[in-house]
Amino acid sequence: MNIPSLWWIDWSLHGKSMRRETVGRFLLCFLAASYFLAMLLSGGVDRFLAGQYTITAILRIGVPDDEGGGIAGKVIAVAPVREALYRDPEQAWKEFLGAYPGLESLRSAGRIPLPGFVEIRLRPGWMSEEGIAQVRSALEPLPQVEKILSGGEIMPRLLRMKWWANVLLWSGFALVCVVFAVFLFLQEKARAARLLPDVSFLADRGVPGGLVATRRAAGAFVTGGLLALLAAGASCAALLFLAGRFSPVRVVVGSAQELQDARFALPAVLFLLFATMLQVLASLAGWRAAFPKGR
Amino acid sequence: MIEAFRVGAVSRGKTLWEGLDLALGDGEIWVVAGPPSCGKTVLMNILRGERRPDLGDVVVSGESVYKGSPEHNRRFRAASGVVPESLPGSAGRTVEDMFRLSALAAGEVPAAERKRRTEELLSLVGLPGAEEAGVSSLSASERARAALAVELFRSPRYLFLDMLLANAGKEWEDKLGALFRALAKEERTIIMMERQLPDRWQGGKGSPPVSAGPFSLSRVAAPATGPKGAPSVPPPPGGKEDRTGGRE
Repeated sequence: MNIPSLWWIDWSLHGKSMRRETVGRFLLCFLAASYFLAMLLSGGVDRFLAGQYTITAILRIGVPDDEGGGIAGKVIAVAPVREALYRDPEQAWKEFLGAYPGLESLRSAGRIPLPGFVEIRLRPGWMSEEGIAQVRSALEPLPQVEKILSGGEIMPRLLRMKWWANVLLWSGFALVCVVFAVFLFLQEKARAARLLPDVSFLADRGVPGGLVATRRAAGAFVTGGLLALLAAGASCAALLFLAGRFSPVRVVVGSAQELQDARFALPAVLFLLFATMLQVLASLAGWRAAFPKGR
Repeated sequence: MIEAFRVGAVSRGKTLWEGLDLALGDGEIWVVAGPPSCGKTVLMNILRGERRPDLGDVVVSGESVYKGSPEHNRRFRAASGVVPESLPGSAGRTVEDMFRLSALAAGEVPAAERKRRTEELLSLVGLPGAEEAGVSSLSASERARAALAVELFRSPRYLFLDMLLANAGKEWEDKLGALFRALAKEERTIIMMERQLPDRWQGGKGSPPVSAGPFSLSRVAAPATGPKGAPSVPPPPGGKEDRTGGRE
């Protein structure tokens, strides 16, 4: 087997410190991958809010149950809707009494004084004014719908706060990436400086420094890709475990099984590529910092 | 063949020498002797393409090392081995690490072959089993011999040795002489920088010393009476000789 040995010069000459550095690198990459996957699944605070927030379509008194169920079936076809449940007047009455006990006397002669309603929950990605407007415009033309409760005037403020919360969370991810990049750069710079006598030795024997730098970068591409893949795999496993074990994780982040969804494939590939290229660039930048041009 | 034409060197504003002519043929052993600080190491660095001479030029295989193509200079370096006067003993660096580095310079050498040749070469220079020894723990003589073994690993066509005999010690003069003679028979050129030519190396089939600037240049025939039987140099990595020594 013809192994391109200069690719692994660091492993060959500084194996012990490379193993130590790789552990640190893996941990940071694992942290970044976990953060990224959690953000991808949860959409920041979107999933949590989508779990708490409902749009309620109150039907007119006397709307038959099959029509109420039909409205729920229709509204679920609207893109932003994740779940739509019809509650008949009987269920509505029970919920009312649960909330306000002692008012049984309001029900006279067996008639239920409350109408049925449809409870609608949005998909996390559609927790926006646009998503709410789409659901409202689907419900408003229906003659059976008496009133739509969707949060009223407080919602734009709440959604703005949600936007800022997401910006803050993504900034946290960016910060983790910056820390990862700085950590990689410092590691690479220190190691390149330790390689100085070895590089001089090789240069004296006809192996140019530029060749060593590019071969090391090629090696960093392979090891960096593997490391990113392993870290992402480990964070998937951790998420799967935590979401299965702790329901708050499921509520806030979501289930790791959802990652099998095709829409996550591209961001996952981009993350792996980003983590790999970061390591390649750190290798080249560390080299350049340790051996400035002309040295 | 390495040829120096009217070479001169200036150091710290002082001319060390000038107008030096040299012709070092293939399969020859040369000793450049001179007093301390006369510029032996400077001359060695000029001859091996490391330091541009202040005057004159160095030509190898018909092309200037300094004015020719960078690729020619690189190939010449790849075909050369150098044992410096003092080998830095980096902390934690073992003799095996030095061989590993030499193997990287040589190109693709399988680990098993590297290990086998390392053992052979260390035995050849009287350091059997020294693979795991830290370079900084070796004596000056051991370091010099280990450095020579590390260079021999790549089977260089040109071998530049700075104060190797002085560092290795008198008891190694004959053994190393026999080794160099074996190498010279394989058409390798050996250039040694020493304070003086060893007594036992004078005379014989070699040419009488010639004065050139502050140096005394001697083409020597290393003594035939070395240790029992001339040492055999293990074949180069890959089993075949790389005459250019260049990494493609």
